[in-house]
Amino acid sequence: MAKVRLLQLGALAAVLTLWALVAAVGVVSATALPGPGSVAGALGDLLGSGVFWQAVGETLRGAVTGLLVAIAVGIPVGLVTGVYAAAEESSRLLVEILRSFPVIALLPVFLLVLGSTPGMKATVVFIACVFPVLLQAQYGAQAVTPAIHETADSYRIPRLLRFRRVILPGAVPSIMTGLRLAATTSVLVSIGVEVLTTLPGMGHMIMESQQGGSSARAYAYILSAGAIGYAITLLAQFAEHRLLRWRPPVHPGGE
Amino acid sequence: MPWKAILRQLWLPALVFVVLLTATAGSTSFYFPPLTEVLTTLWEELAHGGLVEDLLFSLRNILLGLALATVVGVGAGLVIGEIRTLRLATAPLLDFARATPTVGFVPVIILTLGIGSGPKVFLIFLGSVWPILLNTVSGVQAIGPAVHETARGYRIPWPLRLRRVILPGALPQILAGIRVALSIAVVLMVVSEIYGSPVGLGNFILQSGSSFHVAETWAGTILIGVLGYGLSVLLLLVEHRVLGWYHQRAPRVRSTRPVPAEHTDSTESAKSNGVVV
Repeated sequence: MAKVRLLQLGALAAVLTLWALVAAVGVVSATALPGPGSVAGALGDLLGSGVFWQAVGETLRGAVTGLLVAIAVGIPVGLVTGVYAAAEESSRLLVEILRSFPVIALLPVFLLVLGSTPGMKATVVFIACVFPVLLQAQYGAQAVTPAIHETADSYRIPRLLRFRRVILPGAVPSIMTGLRLAATTSVLVSIGVEVLTTLPGMGHMIMESQQGGSSARAYAYILSAGAIGYAITLLAQFAEHRLLRWRPPVHPGGE
Repeated sequence: MPWKAILRQLWLPALVFVVLLTATAGSTSFYFPPLTEVLTTLWEELAHGGLVEDLLFSLRNILLGLALATVVGVGAGLVIGEIRTLRLATAPLLDFARATPTVGFVPVIILTLGIGSGPKVFLIFLGSVWPILLNTVSGVQAIGPAVHETARGYRIPWPLRLRRVILPGALPQILAGIRVALSIAVVLMVVSEIYGSPVGLGNFILQSGSSFHVAETWAGTILIGVLGYGLSVLLLLVEHRVLGWYHQRAPRVRSTRPVPAEHTDSTESAKSNGVVV
């Protein structure tokens, strides 16, 4: 394990050196790619400033609001369509088309209809996040075996109770994957919306920094956004392991 | 009876379409013009306006960026996947790179490198290379040790082994990665064109939106949706052609391969094919 860590540090050092070299030689202008030193300096300044944390807060607020609504909608719909084959068949094409729709392309329409508001940001996040959650819940519910359904049938477990205590727990492993995907997506979309509008947040700060001529600060924002995304992935993986300890180690039955 | 199955899948989309059609039919709402008007606008812009030019510009950028990302991603992925030391060393870096939002680079790149086609292709490349690379790595890893040993046992030279053993073995994962990359590419196409571009679909919807030509905005948005869906269907067709042997195999062969914990991430995202931005 220690050897692996050493290797990873070595790779990090190699990448940083390469970055510093490319920046120093001046193949690309310093505004397009500032050196790692100046970016680190800018990052240090940012971490101590209130503006930075405010921007992080704004971005996360939009992301979390949209994500929560997506969970509230996606899980029930996914479970129902997963259990009833007719519902899945009917909605398949519609979901397929909507899912492949690039959400950010709705931005001009949303700007017209909803205006440049935090609610609009959350709406865009919701649309982007609802499909991974919905589809994973659907896969999870489909993975519940007929034997379990028959058992629940013969005990005459009422429908609502069955969804809550039989199908939902059965689908949780798959749903967790969907949540992890959706959580990363939510932050990305939130930042994407901020880059293109005047809404406050990290995306807006990237744009403002770059327009103000401080590309080091812009890079510091981008890297911290990456760190947030990375942290969310790690956290979700950790939560997944903790939540699913009861489960025997099998691969989640997807399709 | 295949037509019955088709009917079962089509009735709801058809119903939604009809409801939208009738609900907006006499619409006087400024923001929601009648769907028929939107569709005629779309047709007219395509036939007589400059929309075809925008479409071709956007399509070319997507294809160029995606092709570049595929070449680099698969190439680097094969190398990283084959060399264990390299794989272990770069794993956190690659995960971090993938978690970094490429949309953040849009202002940086476009403000410094200009509003032409080149920077946009670069942005699309930058966003779509990571899923392809990570999926290639995990695809190479998923090849069973028995296959490797057999190839070694027959002393198959490495160029041949790469081309005939490793690449085909990793292909299902690679194509899944390209599918994820495609949705990222479409998003970056739109974002980079909205941010700064004289042509392109993104520019079209931005311009028409900010000058309150609502029907045009809806038409452009629908066209982008059609473009994204069309490309992904095209990719699926290619996949079924290239991977016929893989899909026909018993699923048991596919699922018993243990996927190491650190990389389950990319395989799962490939399988679920969630909307990625």
